[in-house]
Amino acid sequence: MVLRRLILAAACLAQPVAVVPAGAIEPPGAAAMVQDAIEGYIRPAYASFASTAGVLGGAVDALCREPSPTHLGMARSAFGAIVDAWSRVELVRFGPVMDDNRLERILYWPDRRSTGLKQVQAILADRDAGAVVPESLAGKSVAVQGLGALEFVLFGTGSDDLATAAGFRCAYGAAISANLGSIAARLDTAWSTGEAAAGLWAAPGPDNPLYRDGGEALGELLDTMIHGLELVRDVRIDGFMGDAASGDKPKQALFWRSEETIAALRGNLASIAGLLEASDMTASLPEDRRWIVGSARFELANADRALSGLEGLPIGDILADPDRRARLDYARLVTTSLSDVIGRQLSGEFGLTVGFSSLDGD
Amino acid sequence: MRSGRAISVVDRRVFLKAAGAAFLAGLAPDAAAAMLAADAVFATAYVDREGSYGIALLSEEGHLVHTQPLPDRGHDVAFDPLTGRAVAFARRPGTFAVVFDRTGMTAPSTIAAAPGRHFFGHGVFSPDGRLLYATENDIDAAAGLIGVYDATAGFARIGEFQTHGMDPHELLLMPDGRTLAVANGGIETHPDFGRAKLNLSTMKPSLVFLDRHTGSLVESHELAPALHQLSIRHMDLDARGRVWFGCQYEGPALDRPSLVGRVQPGSGIALLDMPDDVLAGLRNYVGSVAANPAAGTVAVSSPQGNRLAVIDTETGMLVGDLVLTEVCGLAADRDGYFATTGEGRIVPASGEDATLPGYVWDNHILRIG
Repeated sequence: MVLRRLILAAACLAQPVAVVPAGAIEPPGAAAMVQDAIEGYIRPAYASFASTAGVLGGAVDALCREPSPTHLGMARSAFGAIVDAWSRVELVRFGPVMDDNRLERILYWPDRRSTGLKQVQAILADRDAGAVVPESLAGKSVAVQGLGALEFVLFGTGSDDLATAAGFRCAYGAAISANLGSIAARLDTAWSTGEAAAGLWAAPGPDNPLYRDGGEALGELLDTMIHGLELVRDVRIDGFMGDAASGDKPKQALFWRSEETIAALRGNLASIAGLLEASDMTASLPEDRRWIVGSARFELANADRALSGLEGLPIGDILADPDRRARLDYARLVTTSLSDVIGRQLSGEFGLTVGFSSLDGD
Repeated sequence: MRSGRAISVVDRRVFLKAAGAAFLAGLAPDAAAAMLAADAVFATAYVDREGSYGIALLSEEGHLVHTQPLPDRGHDVAFDPLTGRAVAFARRPGTFAVVFDRTGMTAPSTIAAAPGRHFFGHGVFSPDGRLLYATENDIDAAAGLIGVYDATAGFARIGEFQTHGMDPHELLLMPDGRTLAVANGGIETHPDFGRAKLNLSTMKPSLVFLDRHTGSLVESHELAPALHQLSIRHMDLDARGRVWFGCQYEGPALDRPSLVGRVQPGSGIALLDMPDDVLAGLRNYVGSVAANPAAGTVAVSSPQGNRLAVIDTETGMLVGDLVLTEVCGLAADRDGYFATTGEGRIVPASGEDATLPGYVWDNHILRIG
């Protein structure tokens, strides 16, 4: 779903090369909204991701040096923190995170045929020396170098042994943490210095190869929210939750081993709320249309409230409890109404329409 | 002109006046008049402003002649000129295809995807109209398939064969009537996870030629390894039987790989150099490819870039370039192209533009008479 400007142009196809320039009017405040979203939300969110990656690296190193239940608990808790930090920025699926397969190197998911799991288990079984050196790990399959692999190391079968004996498994976890740390640091730098795609987003213009005007830049911001809601609904929740309880597949849930499924969903929804706040879209709307942003905020708060209290519970238990399952189902429903509020009503106020034919890969 | 078998204008009029009487009788008088007056008819999937899906038949002048409802979003249409039957395929990962009779002789019917399979949105008839081939997904194995349906027996599914790749999208029947060209887009998806792309780091698109009689692989063409994220998705045939294809790039947005290429059985695959500004205007996404063999051109559209480019098939040079909001549907028309957009706009090759604001046109349009 790509948002686009309404452009007035006409020419005869049979004629030789002739491009009719776009005649669109800039949505007022477009560039400022994007700038504010970057400074007020995206940069701090990547900075937080980088700092939690640093904490995680320290915690896993400590566990490897001195295995103990306490250090294992601290490493697992640091894993929860980085999941939370990542969830709050992962819906930004463009810019520097698209370089070098970083998105998939941070989180390869869904792993429907357990390809990654098998590779991780093979590394552990074979004690693959290349997997404990961050630089060589970075060259391996994306599925063995990110959060999914680390979750198995810290929470999967055999992980309790880390409390008493570090060994290869811990060294592999340390390498994954260091690898995540270096990716996170690169992202933090790219956004804070405005390099490449990150910088281009903030400076739309006719010569900009990605954003030819403020409308396209603002469209990227709204797309992030619209695609994000779709991802939360279609990929994350629908991936494990059936229409009825009989269709539930709890082991298809992201982070079911670490019981971070709900926390990740809340982080995702919080990022949409955060982008809305930071970009201050209300200020760019006429007074009698500002309720649209208020409506989006209200819905996001409702979803968050429904999910609060479910964090840290095994996803299978949540699904098995009709009341808890209903709360998750409600959050899923809210993402649909939010798609309409943001994708149609709010976008429409800025003169942007949701593209129909250009959805991914058709 | 996707199969090079579109019936001529004269044939079509004779056809409509004779065998098509029942079809015309079923239309409102003004629609029947429009159909008879039309020099050509085009079929395209749509969603209307109430959110209902269907297939629309449009006259060359952009008049709406008829609509065929669909249970969900459609994608492309296959057409058999011998029987006048058309098949609209569900958009990926849909599991239905609707057969409708252009002549109105029989009621519409639905083909359900086989268990564990879904459609990718494209299909093609055999030259004798007896068999229908559809691109499909073996969901568990994430393997591309061609499903084979017997059009003489209620479109019963009578077989399947491998596409030797993942995510087969558009397919064409080659001029020999026996070889199928299939674009393996290379992107893994699974219905449990919507349309999420599951393998962007390891995708491996290809363009393959298959023998439709034996199901065997004749040739497989891949781009250079550095272009493994360039998904080959749409194709058409030029006057010399060469396959022109359009791609969608899944790598970093600042990369500018070529998006259009050409391949011919027995020789290699090659990407076309395009002017930087035109390539940039396609936004790494070609949504539709249509050739006009009579005019010696091929057109590619990008709804993401609001751009349509026309290329001379002999010189490879750009001969037309148009900015058109959300343009995607393309079909050869006279010496140019009939184009449709996501804003309900219809741009014929000659004559006036039309817009049916109640409709949003989907990716593809096919001439069916």
